[in-house]
Formats: sequence, structure tokens, C-alpha cells
Amino acid sequence: MTDTALAHAPAADRRRGEGLTAGMLIVPASIFVAFCLLAPLAILFRYSLNEFVTTKKMMVEAVTLANYVKFFTDPYYTTILGVTVRVAVTVTAVCLVLGFPLAYVVARTQSRFKHLLIIAIVLPLFVGNAVRAAGWMTVFGSRGFLNTTLQWLGLIDKPLEIMFTETAVIVGIIAVNLPFMVLSLQSVIEGIDRSVEEAAFSLGAPPGTMFRRVLWPLALPGILAGTILTFILAMNAYATPFLLGGPLFKMMAPLIYNQFTQQTNWPFGGAIAFILMTVTLGLTMAANLLIQRRRAS
Amino acid sequence: MTMALAIIRRRARRWALNGAAAVALGYILMPLIFVIWLAFFRQEIPSFPPEGYSLKWFAAILDQRKFVDGFRNSIQVGVLATLIGLALGVPAALCLSRFQFKLRTPLANLLLMPLIVPGVVLGTAMYVFHVELEIGLDMDVLGTFYALVAGHIVIVIPWVVRLVTASLAGVDRATEEAAQNLGANPWVTFWRITLPTIRPGIVAGALFGFVTSFGNLEMSLFLVGPGRTTLPIVILQYLEWKIDPTIAAVSVVQILLIGISMLITDRYVKLARVV
Repeated sequence: MTDTALAHAPAADRRRGEGLTAGMLIVPASIFVAFCLLAPLAILFRYSLNEFVTTKKMMVEAVTLANYVKFFTDPYYTTILGVTVRVAVTVTAVCLVLGFPLAYVVARTQSRFKHLLIIAIVLPLFVGNAVRAAGWMTVFGSRGFLNTTLQWLGLIDKPLEIMFTETAVIVGIIAVNLPFMVLSLQSVIEGIDRSVEEAAFSLGAPPGTMFRRVLWPLALPGILAGTILTFILAMNAYATPFLLGGPLFKMMAPLIYNQFTQQTNWPFGGAIAFILMTVTLGLTMAANLLIQRRRAS
Repeated sequence: MTMALAIIRRRARRWALNGAAAVALGYILMPLIFVIWLAFFRQEIPSFPPEGYSLKWFAAILDQRKFVDGFRNSIQVGVLATLIGLALGVPAALCLSRFQFKLRTPLANLLLMPLIVPGVVLGTAMYVFHVELEIGLDMDVLGTFYALVAGHIVIVIPWVVRLVTASLAGVDRATEEAAQNLGANPWVTFWRITLPTIRPGIVAGALFGFVTSFGNLEMSLFLVGPGRTTLPIVILQYLEWKIDPTIAAVSVVQILLIGISMLITDRYVKLARVV
């Protein structure tokens, strides 16, 4: 997700009068996003400090941290946060392991069908999470593809309960996030000169060593970008846990939705939203620091 | 002998690598393959093996008003949000890649921020914002068509800015300067030189923006009013109750439309370079 084009400023060219043009070009979009995104976030944060009277189902103006305290002192909610982090970490690790070989093959292939390969990877991204969840429902159901096949093979007597479990949710989110990981890795691997790999081989390095000492360090920016993106998306997953996890399995995003629409507890829903964003950003930054420190040493 | 062994080992490694890649690709495509398969089942219950195959579910889509309405709403919102998103995003991208100014980095971050904020948080924040606006302005905001479009514009802008900035990075400014030296004013330079060179970026930005808007679920859940539901929400609400070939047929139509539009876009811009 990091943009090289945006990260590097263009060569400075300051001419008189250009400031005005520049302003006219960027101000409309900036005002629009500020008005439609920053203002709502500010209001949501203000709401999260309000009080909620449960008996009357009403929001009362206040400045209190009660909603945040409530979240972190009630094991019901901290468990949901724990499950969300656990699912996100698992998903990210599996995506990295599964995604690397595919990204490598896509980056190095000389085939003229490369663009079709890319489309096959990108297409599912655009089809929507609900549709993909429907695919998994067909596979996992008690009379679905997996259970029927296993029974036919004589491996199980009665259908396995896979729908509405954490496993189903993890399997579903991996499929959703894998394309993002592959695309992040592929773009970086494509930029690594093939002759670097050849050089390692001709100096006698076995593939494992070449991967560890050459490919991995060079691909690290892509690995970081991919894992961060995958982790954030998994933390915020809504449709997949909602449809594959069922009513009892809870993750953070469905919890926020539930607090807002079912409980109409806006202050608490707002607080959970900010907790989710803060935890996600915090863990991402911590992992980033850890990797960079290990790289430096 | 050792040579032969080395060659065999090398081949084995290549097969292992390609095999691992195929597993990952299969994993990505598996849910789509099963949805497409289910759409052609004869029986209504998704049990395996299918009792037979039929095309009747595709006709059944048209009987259900909610799918047709949802599809129409999604197209309307997506087209409008993409057009306005382009009008706002393309100039912003031009500015970001052409000028150096103090607020450049914060503004770039602001415009890309909607990509990072979780969909559910976007939705809740806009929901409370619309409630406040409604109270403050004393007019309908929440659940209106234009409020939904405004939300979608916010998620279209970052794609336009990213992809157009990326394509501007490859443009040689010398051509523009040459045009201006030859007497072209800034507008003529833009229309005749800059715009044609960044057209691939604009096409890609429009496509990604539209598809993001068309497929958006989490944010829209909070913003749609009664009778204005978009297609992804209709699909989600249907799947909450049951999975059957009708919903699979709806999905197949969606997969086909998106697949075709991507193949067409790929002719203009290499998708491998813009994603």
C-alpha cells in the first residue's frame, strides 16, 4: 500500500503564482475528505465520551472514559478483542506462507498469460466478501462438498461441524486477504534483479540459503507492506465472521455494528471503534519497529 | 551422473514451487468456483453431489425485485461517486506530483486515509455525522441517496489519487515545457499533453474506484435508507437466512460483469502495473 510515487517528493520547482494553482487543484478534494471523513471521526470520538442510560436507551452528554473502562474490564469484550487479534495473526502468517510462492511465480513468469494470472488473483477481490462467503458455505455445510467427500471416502461417519466455527472464519478470511498479500509481494519481487539470485546460486548457495540471505531481505519492504495490509484487513473483517462465524462467534467489526444498530448504544459502539483502530495501529507499529530493529542488528 | 542428479533436483524444486503457487491460486479461486457450480444445481438445497443441472435460477433472479433494485442502486451510486471522485481526485493528484509545498505530505495522507480507516468505523462515523447534520440543518440527511453517494466518493478518491499519481510519475515534464515554450497556455497543455499521457491512470482509477464503490458493504450498511439498499447488502441479508442457487446465480452475474470489465480495462492499462 505504500506508494513510491507519493513517498518521494518531486524535484522542487517553485515558481511564483504556482502556489495559487496548486491550491486550487488540491483544496476541493481535501475539503471534501476533511468534511466527510475527519469531521465524522471527530464526532464519533466525542460520542464515545458520552454516557448511555441503559434503562431509557438514551445517550446523555458527558465527558467520561466509562465506555473505554467498560470494554477493558468486562471479560466478554476483552475475549472478543483477543479472538480478533488471534484470528488476524493466524490469517496473516498463513497468507505470508501461502502467498510467497505464488507471488514469486507471478513475478518471474515469462508466460504471455501473465495478465490472465493477475486477473485471476485480482478478480475475487472485486467480487465482494459476501459472495466469497457464499462459496465457503457451499463447501462447509453439513451436506456440503467437504463433508460429502469425506463421508464418501469413509473417513468420517457423521458430518463435521465446520460452519459457525473459528476455523471456518479463518479459512474464509485467508481467501479474502491472500490476493492483497500476493500483489504486495509480487510488485517488490519483480523489482529484484534476477541476476542477484543467479549470483547466489553460482557462488554455491543452496536454494534455502539463497532465499534466507538474498530474496527475503530484498523482499522485506513488500513483506512488511503485505503483512501490515493483511493484518489490518483481518482485524476489521466484517462479512466473513458475520456469515461464516454465525451468531455466537464474535469479532470486533460485527460487535461495533451490533452495538450501533441492535443496542443503539452509540457511545459504547464509538468507543469500540476507536479501540479497534488504536489496537490495530499499535500492533502494526510494534511489529514494524521489531522487524526494523532486528534488521539493523 | 551428478549432473543428471542436479538437473533432476532442480526440476523437482521447480515443480514444488509451481505446485505451491497453484495451491495458493486454487485457494483464492475456490469460493468463486463453488458459487458458480451451485448456480447450475437443479435442486434448491446446496447438497452434494447435485441431483442435476438447470439454468432456471438465472430466470428466478428477475422475479425478485430486491436483486434488480439493488443492482440498479449500486450502479447509480457507483457511477455518480466515480465521476465526482475523478473530478476531485485527478486535480489533487496533479497537484501532489507537480508541486512542492509545506502541507504536501499531510494532505496526501488525508486523501489516502479512507483506505486505512476500517469500513465499519467509516460507516459508524458517517452515521453519527449525518444524525448531527440532520439536527443542525433540519433536513433529511440520514439514509438519503446523496448522503450515500458522498460516503462513496470518500472511498473512491484515494484510488483515483493513488493510480493517477503513479501514472504521473512516469511523465516527462520536458514535453509539457516544450508545449508551453511553443506558446500553449496551461489549459491547452493539460488537454493536449498531460491528459493523454495520464489516461491509463485515469481509466484504472475510475475502474478501481467504481468497483470499490460497487462492492462496498461495511460502510454502506450504515448509510442506506429503506428501499435504497445496494446489491452487496441485499446479498448479505439474503445469505444470513439461506444459501441457495438463486443467490449463487446473482453472484455469477456479478462475477461475469466484473471479469469482463477487468479484461477490457486490461487492454488499456496493464493491471499488473497498477494494482
